[in-house]
Amino acid sequence: MKILSTEKIKEKKAAWEEKTLKPALEKFKMKESATKFYTPLDAEGFDFMENVGFPGQYPFTAGIYAVYPYAAGTRGGGSIQSAPGLRRAGRYSGYGTPEDTRDYYKHMAEMGAKMGPNLAMDLPTQCGYDSDNPLIRGEVGKVGVSIDTLRDFEVIYEAFQGDRNLDRIASNFTINGPANIIMSMYIALAEKRGIPIEKLKGTPQNDILKEFIARGTYIYPPKASLRMFRDSLAFFTKHLPGMNVTSIGGYHIREAGATREQDLAFSMAIGMVYLQCGVDAGLDIDDFAPKFTFNAFGGSMELFKEVAFQRAARRMWAKIVRDKFGSKKSRSQLLRQPGGAHIGRISTTKQRPLNNLTRSIVGAVASALSGASPNASPPFDEPLGLGWSLEAIQLSEDAGRILQYEAMLTEVMDPLAGSYYVEHLTDEIEEAVWKELEKINSMGGVVAAIENGYMEREIARSAYERQRRVEKCEDLVVGLNCFTGESEIDVAINGVVPHPYDPLKREEAEETQIANIKEVKRVRDSRTVSRLLQELKEAAGKEDVNLFPFFIECARAYTTEQEMCDVLREVFGEYEPPVNL
Amino acid sequence: MEQSRPIKVLIAKPGLDGHDRGAKVVAMGLRDEGMEVIYSGLRQSPEKIVKAAIQEDVDVVGLSCLSGAHRYLFSEVVRMLKEEGMGDTMVIAGGIIPDGDIPMLKETGVSEIFGPGASIKNIAEYIRENNARLKSGR
Repeated sequence: MKILSTEKIKEKKAAWEEKTLKPALEKFKMKESATKFYTPLDAEGFDFMENVGFPGQYPFTAGIYAVYPYAAGTRGGGSIQSAPGLRRAGRYSGYGTPEDTRDYYKHMAEMGAKMGPNLAMDLPTQCGYDSDNPLIRGEVGKVGVSIDTLRDFEVIYEAFQGDRNLDRIASNFTINGPANIIMSMYIALAEKRGIPIEKLKGTPQNDILKEFIARGTYIYPPKASLRMFRDSLAFFTKHLPGMNVTSIGGYHIREAGATREQDLAFSMAIGMVYLQCGVDAGLDIDDFAPKFTFNAFGGSMELFKEVAFQRAARRMWAKIVRDKFGSKKSRSQLLRQPGGAHIGRISTTKQRPLNNLTRSIVGAVASALSGASPNASPPFDEPLGLGWSLEAIQLSEDAGRILQYEAMLTEVMDPLAGSYYVEHLTDEIEEAVWKELEKINSMGGVVAAIENGYMEREIARSAYERQRRVEKCEDLVVGLNCFTGESEIDVAINGVVPHPYDPLKREEAEETQIANIKEVKRVRDSRTVSRLLQELKEAAGKEDVNLFPFFIECARAYTTEQEMCDVLREVFGEYEPPVNL
Repeated sequence: MEQSRPIKVLIAKPGLDGHDRGAKVVAMGLRDEGMEVIYSGLRQSPEKIVKAAIQEDVDVVGLSCLSGAHRYLFSEVVRMLKEEGMGDTMVIAGGIIPDGDIPMLKETGVSEIFGPGASIKNIAEYIRENNARLKSGR
């Protein structure tokens, strides 16, 4: 390869602008070019080893692993049977009562599902309320399954026995505020089944700080919430080596309105707070950092920028864990996500919704080009209501398969490495994010930036700016603010395959689950429950005590989630968000 | 119609749903349209929302819910507003509302549903043109 000097390129560029570009612009009566062109001048100082490196090696820009087994089968490298894994986590699922969810999982198992559950829990569960609380009427079993007591886990996991017992599967739990309580119920279930708890595998979302700025299922103030986080980190590190500690940030912050840079900065800042929790608890960074994961980063249609975002995210996390926290093991420095780049739900439209399939494929291409499987997410009917149709899921999965097996998109790792444009974008994002991190630091860190409303306000402002751009047609969205004329036709969607969730059961779930919790309360030993709650309360008052053993004791005795949460509400107080709009 | 004071709107998040992007964007947008807007914040019970509507004497209540609990929560707000003699308060709503639920909600008394992709301009226009309370000169 012949490498020209920077001076020489500058000279040639100036000549090109004058001799070639300028006449073209004049011809089309343009003030500036509609199409940009990047040169080595835009990636000055680019150092392959420092900026990219090899896959599976620091700084992991090219990918966190040396090889991606799921990419096999593309060119005779393996059979599809041995590498079916476009999906790395079970489908987010769960609805109604524990019985409804159990039956759904049994049904899926009959259809060949092998993975553990990726459990969606209803909002009362996520916010620490029991089903029989009159304040939360109308919400039981709606966005996920209702969990009140250990009994509910016993019922759901009837679908997971034998070769899918708790020591064989990984369970994902989308739970944050009461994560430790829900995890204690899972641990109590394992104990009841005689499974050693060190064999448990899975990931609780357990990322409470982002709940204060997006998604909103917080319970306690940030500092008390971080004490809960520390407890899970310390307890899992010691007793549950196969359990991830957290799934940080990612797309939730973005969906709430954050820009790419805000999302990455807030997620990295939050990740650092969690790492510090472990350090402060006296643990070695390399003993717990490998148990950190991130939720899939993504959220726009801008393919190259999303690729750059993924690369910058991997590189930054590696730098943070190694250089700021002194990690010595590369395993600790990996930014692990269950998926890769994607367009985000916010990019989908209710108008002409089949176009969302096209949109999600753009995200899947970005994912494949940035080191993850080409998952086309979300299914096209995402904006139409809760719960995707099986047809939409089929098309999403097929889209990923087509990109992998027909378009061969996963054949090369980080194929855009060295592109002047993509390297420029990667550096640009990273630089903006470090700057934002400094800003957060200067106002006293993440907790301060939450409590003073900074993060929430900035995200809302970005969301509003996007809305204004769409309304002014500065940002175009096909079928929404352009190409909406008379000549366009709507494409009807006829969902004919019945969804495995039973709508009738969903409607009845609240009453059924209220009856369930009443029965649990009737038959359990209430005096033991009262005593355990009192012990929990005393322990909660001592900051250095790890509450996990207390939660497990409570769970065993069928103490309800809200009973435990209420005790902590008394001790910790409840979070009052700063009103700021 | 002459306006002696700005239109007053309460944008509220009923229930436990924490997806507040839409609610905040609409609140900010209607404010820029010259309306006086109060944003409730998250986790408001129908009782709290109605109480705030009375206290602030609003012309419009805008409800946002993405959790699927809209049938119960929106209907409760409308019912309680009527009970409190605020039946002429316009109730509009947004969120992930399946098309199939819209007739039921309108029958209950929700004036209009503005789902994904709705523009602030249209929402503001709708409020100005259809507000019974403003027309009755209250």
